[in-house]
Amino acid sequence: MRELRRRPGRFVTATVILFLIALLLMFLGGLVDGLINNSTGAVRAQRGDVIVFSSDAKDSFLRSEIPPELRAAVESVEGVTDVGGIGIIQLGARVPGKGPRDLADTALFGYELAPRGVPETPPALGEAYADESLEAKGVEEGMEILLGPFRTPVTIVGFVEDTNYLGQSSLWASPETWRKVAGENRSVGALADGVFQSLVVAGDGSASELAQRIDAATAGATSSLSIAEAADSIPGVREQRGTFGQIIGVTVVIAVVVVALFFALLTIERTGLYGVLKAVGAGTATLFFGVLLQAVIVTVAACVAAGALSFLLDIVIPAGAIPFQFGPPRFVLSTVLLLVASTIGCAFSLRRVLKIDPARAIGGSL
Amino acid sequence: MSRLTGNATPRRETLLRVFLALKEMRRAKVRFGLLTAAVGLLVFLVLFQQSLQNGLLTAFVGGIKNQSAPVVVYSVDGRRNLQGGVIIPALEAQVLAVDGIGRAGRFSQSTFTATAGGVETDAAVVGYEAEGLGSPATLVSGRLPTAPGEAVANEADADQGFDIGEVVTLDPAGFEITVVGLARDVLINVTPTLYVDYGTYEDAVRSRFTEATTLLPNALAVEPAAGVSPEQLVERINAVSDDIDALVRADAADKAPGVASVRQSFSIIFLLYALVVPFVTGLFFLILTFQKANALTLLRAIGAPAKKLVQALLVQVIAVLVGGLLLGIAFYTPVSSQRLGGITLRFETGAVIFWSVLLLSFGVLSSLFSARRVLAIDPVDATTGAGVGR
Repeated sequence: MRELRRRPGRFVTATVILFLIALLLMFLGGLVDGLINNSTGAVRAQRGDVIVFSSDAKDSFLRSEIPPELRAAVESVEGVTDVGGIGIIQLGARVPGKGPRDLADTALFGYELAPRGVPETPPALGEAYADESLEAKGVEEGMEILLGPFRTPVTIVGFVEDTNYLGQSSLWASPETWRKVAGENRSVGALADGVFQSLVVAGDGSASELAQRIDAATAGATSSLSIAEAADSIPGVREQRGTFGQIIGVTVVIAVVVVALFFALLTIERTGLYGVLKAVGAGTATLFFGVLLQAVIVTVAACVAAGALSFLLDIVIPAGAIPFQFGPPRFVLSTVLLLVASTIGCAFSLRRVLKIDPARAIGGSL
Repeated sequence: MSRLTGNATPRRETLLRVFLALKEMRRAKVRFGLLTAAVGLLVFLVLFQQSLQNGLLTAFVGGIKNQSAPVVVYSVDGRRNLQGGVIIPALEAQVLAVDGIGRAGRFSQSTFTATAGGVETDAAVVGYEAEGLGSPATLVSGRLPTAPGEAVANEADADQGFDIGEVVTLDPAGFEITVVGLARDVLINVTPTLYVDYGTYEDAVRSRFTEATTLLPNALAVEPAAGVSPEQLVERINAVSDDIDALVRADAADKAPGVASVRQSFSIIFLLYALVVPFVTGLFFLILTFQKANALTLLRAIGAPAKKLVQALLVQVIAVLVGGLLLGIAFYTPVSSQRLGGITLRFETGAVIFWSVLLLSFGVLSSLFSARRVLAIDPVDATTGAGVGR
């Protein structure tokens, strides 16, 4: 600690390097969080236990179709307490006051079981709750926006948070509004009355057991997933998580190597000093603890600076520019990862500290 | 250093400096090894992410970039997403009436659950009306479709059941499409893509939506008339209506949803990695110079010119950086031929050259701080105990 206070300059460059590495980790983490949250919000917001797709849809909302007879089969499954249909259509929205080509990307959901933050009773025909990300596009409560090439009017009656789907701002409406908008704007045609794209199901027991019972009852005509599995099955989510996870992993390994390198050099430089300290009775553990403490302080300082910059980036990056979301959990995770890396890196110096011979330090050669 | 080496020739002097610099590296293998490993890992990550970025963009919009129509016309509502748009008849008529159009055809995409090679998968079916109007432009084997039910697939998907001669079955009606050709980098939205004639496309869509009567095109593929450039034609088409979004081929790919944000995100990541390499290298040699302060001062005192000590330092810097680059490229080479999900990675020779030159330059520049310290050594300090580390 005293060395850090008296010669802070010696640690500045190492802190700057660790700051850059911490910033990299936090930026990469913020990117993956932003990408995934922006894709999966609408699914994570569902308050049921299981989402049921038709088995030929490859767990895609857009390709799934659940006719009334299949829904009846799901409703009759033992332990099922609530079933709600859900449908979606992705359309550009014309916002009053914006240019004729400046459309907002939206995904309109028709729901029966309300997701988190949305009132139990769906809004009236022609009305919808909007994800708050649409506020950045100039959408306000009470405003009428026009959806799709046929400019179907929908009035915004309130806002909800963290419900985006595939990077598009969600709109939550009644099934009737969804059918109307889809019927007017689809290139192929809307689903028939009573047909939904998926079902949100609540029930007794674990989600996986419930899903198994539903798929067994429909003789494989359905593919039922827990909410977390349904979120993961959205195109690109698993791949993004896996790829960024690997990149973050290698970056942590680099941090280990950099910390090891820096403190190995410092230990070599202080070999004589450590020898003298050992000669006057300081234990190896005490000396190593000192090195470790320095590494932890340098790492925490780097992480705090990188975290502050990341939080600032989260605030200043305009909505829709880069899918970056940085929150306390990511900050804590990145800091813990770097602290572990620092500790491992420091451990490389332990061998050198152990090898220091106090007799040589005070000039003895016996 | 010549005074230290007697009557050495300049060539021998150079070799000796290199030899001494490398000898020091051999004696401190762990230190220099760790630095080389750190640089190597950083180089590997930068190159891997370069391949990832290019592979990701190609997998998302390769099918637009490598189709044959010079101009693609979307509806503004389509948000530059082929499958997401609809060209209503009135809009289509307005576009076709624009002066300067040579040929135009419907260009559409629909995504199906399919069975290929006995495995259930996704498949994007892209319909085009004529060669040159949305057909794949990078055919590498086989031929373009000449009959209903034939398709060109993406070359990299050949081993996933999309090879020439294989039959892909579209759910739910079991509509069959036979692959007759393979083209390079023609994926759309990271989904195996089949390019078929427009009649086959409509039949495929109707096999799924049996009650569909009129199928509206998602976009139009347009070729300018002789004497009209694609850019001029885009201007004329866009002037017709605010509901039309015409783009030249390259813009249709580059301005597709998500492309700009992927580029921006990776640019920031690359910038940070590019900064870490010189910082790590610079710090290492700076500390090393401090540690060798006494030895360097002594060398200066017995006649070694500062310039030659700096040259020895540079030999070490370059050796570490070149070693790191080689290590990074060695890690990168096998990884760059892999497939990550639907993304095909490639060995990016241009990126290897660019990053090697950039990191080598930055690394050498970063060692100038150490060089400045060496140049500032006063030989007289050997008699006082002071040196570079003061």
